Amino acid sequence: MVMRKLQLELPLNQTQKVRFERAMERLQLLSSTTNNSVIVADSIHEDAFLLKGYGTSEVDGELLATVCGVVTNVDKLVYIRTLRARYKPEVKDIVVGRVIEVSQSCWRVELNSTKDGILKLSSMDNDVQRRKTDVDELSMRNIIVEDDVVCAEVGCIHRDGGLELRATSYKYGKLDKGQLLMVDPYLVKRSNIHFHYIESLGIDLIIGRNGFIWVGEHVQAQDRRILDDEMIKHTSLETRQSILRIGNAIRVLSNLGFTMTLEVIIETVILSNMENIDVHDMLGSEFHVLVAENEVERRIRRA
Amino acid sequence: MEIDREDGRTPNQLRPLACSRNILHRPHGSASWSQGDTKVLAAVYGPKAGTKKNENAEKACFEVIWKPKSGQIGKVEKEYEMILKRTIQSICVLTVNPNTTTSVIIQVVHDDGSLLPCAINAACAALVDAGIPMKHLAVAICCCLAENGYLVLDPNKLEEKKMTAFAYLVFPNTTLSVLPEGSSVAEGEPVEHGIITSVTHGVMSVDDYFLCVENGRAATASLSAFFRKNFQQSSSKAG
Repeated sequence: MVMRKLQLELPLNQTQKVRFERAMERLQLLSSTTNNSVIVADSIHEDAFLLKGYGTSEVDGELLATVCGVVTNVDKLVYIRTLRARYKPEVKDIVVGRVIEVSQSCWRVELNSTKDGILKLSSMDNDVQRRKTDVDELSMRNIIVEDDVVCAEVGCIHRDGGLELRATSYKYGKLDKGQLLMVDPYLVKRSNIHFHYIESLGIDLIIGRNGFIWVGEHVQAQDRRILDDEMIKHTSLETRQSILRIGNAIRVLSNLGFTMTLEVIIETVILSNMENIDVHDMLGSEFHVLVAENEVERRIRRA
Repeated sequence: MEIDREDGRTPNQLRPLACSRNILHRPHGSASWSQGDTKVLAAVYGPKAGTKKNENAEKACFEVIWKPKSGQIGKVEKEYEMILKRTIQSICVLTVNPNTTTSVIIQVVHDDGSLLPCAINAACAALVDAGIPMKHLAVAICCCLAENGYLVLDPNKLEEKKMTAFAYLVFPNTTLSVLPEGSSVAEGEPVEHGIITSVTHGVMSVDDYFLCVENGRAATASLSAFFRKNFQQSSSKAG
């Protein structure tokens, strides 16, 4: 029997299957009492919603769905969140992306959204505030090249959908010495902190709202701008293993469809350490079942 | 007097259906739909800014590219593209994203009869996966007429060759539909009795055609149920 949820198929033996099913059932009971999924032309309960948002349409006084998805409401706004949503950018969101092109005075960044993000040279803040000249444009390649991973915040969204990014603080910029992970955007909820520094392991964790997560060795904030080649130190073996362990924990959580927050990720890593599971075994069926069960207990504890 | 079908199906029985969505990474929406051995992959990119030259800029525009399994693109493929484009235009809400183009690419993986209905179903599933707003879902079916006047649904390639005439029919999914003026009663008949698209080949009498339509509509109930179950399963696990 294979797990229904997973995109990759994991073979489960009989006991694992039973445990997994039970964990999923309990999660279902704990999470939502009503199944809010709709398909096209289903009617949505009115319930005094004043604002009709995306995916809804009013016909004959009745509210119908125009897309398939889950009905979500925020106060007086009701809208339908589609299942496999591409990231919908909002201003001031923190995103992580990969550079795909170096153009004239800007970099084009891939963000898992309908449009690529544009990071302008003028919105990269150097230590010295000055106008960028032609020399700066020609030396753009010294700062960021194709296939580099950058972290930025969404600056403004033009009316035709064009997306501008800003890297105006020392927190943003090129990311080095780590791993980029891609998960579904709806698993990352908006929160106050997206930059996490795990002190015990010396690792930076940046959870981008577009579903790209960066796990890397901790770099002092000012160092991001320094282009000193001699300062490249080798990452220690334990740090690398911690990076991989956290990366695999994130992969398991995204396979199971659980929301990404720092506590869940740390708990999963601690769980894997406690059970003495090897880093590559973390992607196996046993660990998936363990994480599912752990999530059930976590939600019970929280509730 | 029943017809004996080679694979042992009854005349009104459809082949086993399989649908999976979100199979391709790059497109905004993708789906694969198979009825028996006929399998079609659909991918949707969009909406992208701008429309083509001759298209109305106040509405969303759809572009269909049909890729056959092998061989060059010819008139048959162009005809399929046009039929699919008109069908998609009538099921999608065109006023939500004006002045945009949405591309639908159909790749034929295997053709074992009833190819166009399979492609329409795959395109509909891919549009759902991409989150394009629609008025209702479309379910497509192929009905054909044998020499002795009997009706057969969802033929495979061998059966299609032996038939005198066949019709591809596309019906709306549900009774309620998201129409702009709320016209659930159009010209005296409710919308669920309407047909979105009908393509016929061969010679058949008018009565036979109406019989095809009735049988097809009855069979689409099971297709609609399949659609609904498929979408609700994936949305309940995500929600």
